[in-house]
Amino acid sequence: MTVFRELNWGLVLIWGALAAFGLTAIYSATQGPVSEFLPEHIQQNFLRQATWVSLAIVIIAAIQFITPRRFQEVSYLFYGFATLLMIYTVFFGVEISGSQSWIQLGPINIQVAELMKIATILAAANYLTSRRDITAENLKTALAALLFFIVPVILLVLQNEAGVAVIFLALLPFMLFWSGLPHGITLLMISPALIGYFAILNLTWAIIAALLITFVIFILQKRVWLTVSSLALGLVTIIGVEVALHQVLQPHQTARIEAFANPAVDPQGSGWNVMQAKTAIGSGGLTGKGFMKGTQTQLRFLPEQWTDFIFCVVGEEFGFVGAGSLLTLFLLLFMVLLNMAGNQKHPFSQLVIVGAASVFFIHFTINLASAMGIMPIIGLPLPFLSYGGSAFLTNSILLGICLNLDLYKRTLSIYR
Amino acid sequence: MSSVQNRDKKTSLRILQAVILLTWLVMLGRLIQLQIIDYDTYAPLSMQNFIRQEVVNPARGLIYDRNGTIMVENEPIYSITINPASFDMSKVPLLAELTHSDEESVMERITRAQQYSWFRTSRLFTEVSFEVFSNIQENIWQLPGIGHQIESKRHYSHDLLAPHTFGYLREATREDHERFEHLRLGDRIGKSGLEMVYENYLRGQPGTEYVRVNAYGQTIGHFEESSLDVSPVRGYDLITTLDADLQKLAEILMEGKKGGLVAMDPNNGEILSIVSSPQYDISRLAGRLDADYWRSINIDQDTPLFNRAISSRQPPGSTFKPFMGLIGMHLDLITEDTEIYSSGAYIRGRAYGDTADPGNYDLRKAISHSSNYFFFWMMDRIATNGHLNTWSRLMKDFGMGVRNSIDLPFETAGIMPDSTYMNNTFGTRRWGIGDLMSLGIGQGMVSVSPLQMAVATSSIANGGYRVQPHLVRRMVHPELDTRYSNPESTRIDWIREDHLRVVQHGMREVVTEGSGRWYADLGDIPVAGKTGTSQNPHGNNHGWFIAYAPFDDPQIAIAVLIENAGFGSVSAAPVASLLIEQYLRDSIERQHVFDYVLNFSPREEVPDEIEEQESLDGILPDETGGVQ
Repeated sequence: MTVFRELNWGLVLIWGALAAFGLTAIYSATQGPVSEFLPEHIQQNFLRQATWVSLAIVIIAAIQFITPRRFQEVSYLFYGFATLLMIYTVFFGVEISGSQSWIQLGPINIQVAELMKIATILAAANYLTSRRDITAENLKTALAALLFFIVPVILLVLQNEAGVAVIFLALLPFMLFWSGLPHGITLLMISPALIGYFAILNLTWAIIAALLITFVIFILQKRVWLTVSSLALGLVTIIGVEVALHQVLQPHQTARIEAFANPAVDPQGSGWNVMQAKTAIGSGGLTGKGFMKGTQTQLRFLPEQWTDFIFCVVGEEFGFVGAGSLLTLFLLLFMVLLNMAGNQKHPFSQLVIVGAASVFFIHFTINLASAMGIMPIIGLPLPFLSYGGSAFLTNSILLGICLNLDLYKRTLSIYR
Repeated sequence: MSSVQNRDKKTSLRILQAVILLTWLVMLGRLIQLQIIDYDTYAPLSMQNFIRQEVVNPARGLIYDRNGTIMVENEPIYSITINPASFDMSKVPLLAELTHSDEESVMERITRAQQYSWFRTSRLFTEVSFEVFSNIQENIWQLPGIGHQIESKRHYSHDLLAPHTFGYLREATREDHERFEHLRLGDRIGKSGLEMVYENYLRGQPGTEYVRVNAYGQTIGHFEESSLDVSPVRGYDLITTLDADLQKLAEILMEGKKGGLVAMDPNNGEILSIVSSPQYDISRLAGRLDADYWRSINIDQDTPLFNRAISSRQPPGSTFKPFMGLIGMHLDLITEDTEIYSSGAYIRGRAYGDTADPGNYDLRKAISHSSNYFFFWMMDRIATNGHLNTWSRLMKDFGMGVRNSIDLPFETAGIMPDSTYMNNTFGTRRWGIGDLMSLGIGQGMVSVSPLQMAVATSSIANGGYRVQPHLVRRMVHPELDTRYSNPESTRIDWIREDHLRVVQHGMREVVTEGSGRWYADLGDIPVAGKTGTSQNPHGNNHGWFIAYAPFDDPQIAIAVLIENAGFGSVSAAPVASLLIEQYLRDSIERQHVFDYVLNFSPREEVPDEIEEQESLDGILPDETGGVQ
């Protein structure tokens, strides 16, 4: 009975609301009038997702009966197991839409990379909190922790899943930052992403961003070598992006990257997805076109509308009222998790919860920014909404672990 | 350590919260921008995505003859279409069987359709027979993805061709799009004949349909229950003045000959039949463009696309003489009784030959026996007295040398020389009497079309009225008001009744006693006419015949020109007389003349019995040069 009272029911409610949003949108995107134009296996997506949601309830509940120390104990083993699966996938994986990242288990396909997320968070958290002297404040330790992230990134690139690899690269600064990595170095780590983004948009902005970041790093750390390397990294990033866009990449690849900034350049090709996604969201207006009445969704103008572009379905059919509510739910999710992390005594619990919150946040940002046309499209699912069993279960397990750590926070602190 | 770390964690927490909140606010801001601020941009964009405006073509107006017989109508073209995405490949054998083709070629067509678009409908078989079309319709339930398209093309019924009169349709050019509104890319419009002149009435107004489409371009259904749709308005039907039976006979008679003919009601200018030969098969230009055929008629040396009935310019030869007579009397050069002695050659600087017997000629005899001397004499007086311009103006009153505004394109004005024309041709004052003499017998610079001769002949037949030739009597429409053509006949005021009677009798005697008596005399139907042979420096002479009948109550006036056929009396006259017979008797009783015309071939040698009578008008040394 204590379990019930102590459980963070607010988080469970948020999870339930997000899953309900997802099921509604998937239903509309696959069972609505649009189903006429969809192959049969996609029409079954709603029922399958409903199954995953039911299964997730059971799994989240089951996780609550695990002793939190277990997560620490099995973290390396689990990481090793997941890595082996990843390696196996590189050679024997099933290829689905261009990426060899799936393992076939009977009738279902499992995306191992999703498991790898849990494993990486647990293992990195365990390593960074295993001894007192091990924190990211010590740069050598930070470099050692880097290995936990580099391995999946390399394996994912080999699986032709660069998009998912971005998650691991983005997760790294969050976890190291929490573990005490100096602010200036954290900033240095994320600076290539920021400067690179601006470099695609506008060269001047990119240079200003590079100089600004260098200045902030100087203020934060007051170390000459760091300041110089920040400036150098900034310039290398800018030059690298320019060379890649104009020398290395084929024109159609460059167009695909730049399409988000100006979709009208190639409305039939790379700009099509961006244009249709923005049109779906924009034409939803304040109150939306109504459930199963979105013309973009139901007449198939949206690409991947049950997975990567599911936010557009919400935006079109439920308007700003619906999409804004969804955004608010996500903000609540992040804030509740961060708050939860702050309440943890044990650093392992803190780091795992921060890691989980970061993974959700990174997915959320990339997915919405892609759908709303503020960055080049990277095909990543929206947590708890997009169709997909592996992703939904992984995210739910992560949330379940957070709930578990929070539930037993006093128990765990004893062992500290 | 612990306290320091805790404070540090709090800062970290605040920083993380700030980063997430900031990013979240960017997302919210973008959402507000898209859904609230730019809603007016994106809402129409999404409408444009799924609403397609489709044009519904109106039915083109039909063309009828004067008795209500349909001559030009619309015929559906059936095409079988395929939507490759919904097609079931196991149905290929069935499809092959229904379309009477083999599986291989069906597969080939399906592959091509798939290459074009997997989701869009494309044509699988174009212009299939009605039998294949109904085969498919009966089995449509077991052929998913198969559909049909019905378009329309012109169909020419009643075995008529009349290509120059009806005209063909072609895809509109860029200039056409500027000229006509409502024209869409790929629309076909009239490019010659009535189809061209009455394009604006025949075409009708296209309608509009709004349909919902999906991203693959498939039509899902009507938009707003068709409440915004506009129905097409069909085109006007043309009720023409043509007599389909007469037209058909005329086409048969002109088969294998080069030339043109125009038959009209002399009382009001209604064209009963109009033929230019050689013709071309207009039905082969009706459907999809038959490029080989189109090229072949364009490069044909006999220029089948040229409308000889209204566009060809030839000297009228002796058919000119009745009009010369009327002008001569009007100018007081002669009276009804003036007799002129023909010595066999008119001498004026040189000898102008005449094959008619020497002797005394009054106007009536000069027409019926086609005296050249008489009209050389008259032209000499006209030229010498400085009446050339008056003469030219009076001739133009008959409709020669001017356009008659018939409702067909590419009508020629012909040439009726006056001093300005002569100055322009030869240089100011560098021409003289020698260039004018031959005009008197319809040779030299003067040139006319069969249409002009028919109009001029009508004036003699109807008592001196200039008629307005026309092909369309009225345009009718099931919803709109009927439109009538209002051609007006005007009296040529200088023509006197008694003068006219002399000429009319002269022309009657051509048929009873003169060169028209072999082929143009219809016995109980009194015919008046005049034969002519126009000199052609480039080859065999052209034969002319103008006529009207019945003599005392004219119902039909006709002008026939047959190129390179020698004497008009043996080439053009039988054609004209058969048409008069058909029109007034409704049957052909002179089978031997009919057979003669069908098997007619121009003869180099003049038959003996004709040679005496038919003067080879104006056998001149080639000084005129302008005969074309």
